[in-house]
Amino acid sequence: MKRLSIRDFSLVLALVAIVAFFTIQSPVYLDPRNLSNLAVEFSIIAVLALGVFLILLPGQTDLSTGSGVGLFGGVAAVLIYNQGWPAPAAMGAAFVGAVALWALMGLLIVKQRIPAFIMTLAGMLVFKGLHWATIENSTIPVKVGAQDNLFSSLTTWYLPPSAGWAVVAVAVAALGWAALRARARRIAHGLTVEDRDTAFAGWLIPVQLLILLVVVLNQFNGVPLPILLLGVTAVAVFILTRHTPFGRHLYAIGGNAEASRISGIPVERTIVIAFALCGVTVAATGFLQTAYAGASTSTIGQFLELDAIAACVIGGVSLAGGKGTVGGVLFGALIMTALLNGMTLLAVDPELKLIARGLVLALAVWMDVALSKRR
Amino acid sequence: MTTPVLATDQLVKRFPGVVALKGVSFDLRPGEIHAICGENGAGKSTLIKTLSGIHPHGSYEGRILVEGREVAFAGIADAEDKGIGVIYQELALVPEMTVAENIALGREPTRGGLVDWLGMNDQARTLLAKFNINLDPETRVGTLGVGHQQLVEIVRALGKDSRVLILDEPTAALASHEVALLLEILKDLRRRGIACIYISHKLEEVFAVCDRITIIRDGATITTLETAKTNRDEVIRHMVGREIQDLFPRRAGEAGAPLLTVRNLSAEPAEGDGITLKDIAFEVRAGEVLGIGGLMGAGRSETLMHIFGAWGRRTAGSVTLKGQPHDAPTPGDSIRRGLVMVTEDRKKLGLVLDESIGFNMSLSSLERFAKKGLLDASAEFVTNQSFFQRLRVKAPDLESRVGGLSGGNQQKVVIGKALMTGPSVVFLDEPTRGIDVGAKLEVYELINELTAAGNAVVLVSSELPELMGMSDRIIMLGEGRVGGAFVRGQCTPDQLLHAAIAAHAAPPSR
Repeated sequence: MKRLSIRDFSLVLALVAIVAFFTIQSPVYLDPRNLSNLAVEFSIIAVLALGVFLILLPGQTDLSTGSGVGLFGGVAAVLIYNQGWPAPAAMGAAFVGAVALWALMGLLIVKQRIPAFIMTLAGMLVFKGLHWATIENSTIPVKVGAQDNLFSSLTTWYLPPSAGWAVVAVAVAALGWAALRARARRIAHGLTVEDRDTAFAGWLIPVQLLILLVVVLNQFNGVPLPILLLGVTAVAVFILTRHTPFGRHLYAIGGNAEASRISGIPVERTIVIAFALCGVTVAATGFLQTAYAGASTSTIGQFLELDAIAACVIGGVSLAGGKGTVGGVLFGALIMTALLNGMTLLAVDPELKLIARGLVLALAVWMDVALSKRR
Repeated sequence: MTTPVLATDQLVKRFPGVVALKGVSFDLRPGEIHAICGENGAGKSTLIKTLSGIHPHGSYEGRILVEGREVAFAGIADAEDKGIGVIYQELALVPEMTVAENIALGREPTRGGLVDWLGMNDQARTLLAKFNINLDPETRVGTLGVGHQQLVEIVRALGKDSRVLILDEPTAALASHEVALLLEILKDLRRRGIACIYISHKLEEVFAVCDRITIIRDGATITTLETAKTNRDEVIRHMVGREIQDLFPRRAGEAGAPLLTVRNLSAEPAEGDGITLKDIAFEVRAGEVLGIGGLMGAGRSETLMHIFGAWGRRTAGSVTLKGQPHDAPTPGDSIRRGLVMVTEDRKKLGLVLDESIGFNMSLSSLERFAKKGLLDASAEFVTNQSFFQRLRVKAPDLESRVGGLSGGNQQKVVIGKALMTGPSVVFLDEPTRGIDVGAKLEVYELINELTAAGNAVVLVSSELPELMGMSDRIIMLGEGRVGGAFVRGQCTPDQLLHAAIAAHAAPPSR
């Protein structure tokens, strides 16, 4: 039975403190308009963090995702703007490229025994170079003229309010159904369950947050599309990690790779697939981030790999592998976004912003080490 | 009588669930070479770790005396201060550093805060010359053979002004000419008044250099003999000791068709050093337990791991599993074809310690619980629960963390994971090591159940009584080759040990 730990509480406290600080500094922080931006930024970091999560779980690492985000956003933009491709085709091509490159990195890591740190550090440089070459160091808009396309609409299209409510209703019902079903099964198998009130609260709190989210977002333009994409990604990663043999294998490899091998788990194949799946999220994040900026420029995706890793670690994913949950990653991404968005809002100097990002990363890893020592 | 330079008085060392030393007393006279002999698991390693301060004062009962006075080592450094140097089985040298650097490691001579390179090399040269060892102090240790590395270790220990040198299986990895050199150096040390504790399975070495032999068995001193007044047979008899009691409830049935046939198998490590397997042949039939015995480093685990697909490269021979060729499998292939392995090191190779019992038990069988790619949690739970109960794992429930269980219960989880795959051939590598008697009996009962259901079991064990008590047939390995084959009830412990040691003593081929 999972209990809330000191760690979980300190995370909630950290978020409250961050929100309180920025709200006092800048009252518009909690305005629907800014919260809508925050939701989009949150989706961007969280989608990438969920991909990186799949790589951290088996004890690997990926430093190249930020460069990949820039590259594949740039590839799609160039194909649309310079080559006149239809947006879906351009995005499809970029998707294929990302998956192929990430699978290749995974293969080199497991077959040639290049440590993931070095392989993806090399990837970080190579992809950055490819990105700059692709856009020829210029600014490539995501749409031709004023004509919106699938790519440019990614971050500018909002669900109509009624559709937002419909989505929430479905989500609330699904959450309730899943919780009831899991509870019934545990009871049927004679396992301990939380008492009814706690279980109800465990459902009610996220439900209230979801409803609050839609109320706030509907005061502006409605639920932005990226939130929906994040929802789909999160559900997919959740099912993958918790309810498939592949997911179990990820946790087992991170927990004890040698024992996993002896247990008959295809360790190498599992790691390659994890990288390929991360490639999917890299391309998706690339589209979102580039569309959000309106154009591919040389700085798109810069340091995003570190934000994604920080989000994972803050959310309780162990850098040694084998530990972490989708919920934790989402929460970690929320803390990172709240911080980055607040600093942008206050027009903090870029120098200071970098320093703050670095300190948060160090703090998160230190927390990981300090909390995993106690046992 | 002279005061012993080092002595123990009724040492008792307990680990959770096991008593490793149950009262070890012996004394080491100045300038003697004193052998400590015992079967695997008799408590030799624990004794060394206690003498060298790895198990600090307070973690054991009884006394350790240096020069007649009781000492209380808080750690290795204290033991070194008292002049006790230990050479472990595993070398502890830095391969990238030179001979001189390794000898001076941790006490580098300095001048003005900087390492005095010339002084360090001089020091090493003097020490090497003193013991007639012909080595250039500036050679990188990694380029030396194992034998010379061993000598560097000894010189390093002696450089700390050791009066007592403890050598734990120092010749395990040495070629015969290197052994001869080492034994000469030990005799030279004896002339200089340095006392040695010599731990080895190789009785001919023991008889070649040692003055006295102390035999320990089941963690207790059995006797101390003057080498000149005893012989190999007497030593082996004391090492084996006990009668085999009804501790081993083997119920043998009729053996059926062969399930696993190994012919002329030779294999070498895929990378790095290690034992080479030569010309190994055996067969296991349905309903049968084949025991594999031998001393430490004989290649028993490697043989099983190789057939299972987790060790080494085949150089010759063939393996047939249930009538089908079984060559170059992955562990996954082996499991799918009905061969599982319970490894010796359950923490390193058997379990994901941070995960739950259920997670670990179903780990090898997940595909079976997947419906359209999704795990059927109910089916998985029901199966886990049935193994949890059948193996009588003592834990609150399936969600308990495996890392928190006792050794015996951890072992049951590993066995449960193996059995859940529905195997027809089960490899058990030291399945009862470090678990208590009750859990042992349950493991033996499981072996009976498995063979009664028409499966075959290969049991590797270092404990001769267990091997003889639970196996229908036994092969003894030594130095990666088969030293003898025996049938249950028609062999004595002496014969088995002789076969293992004979295989050890056999001259290396090529």
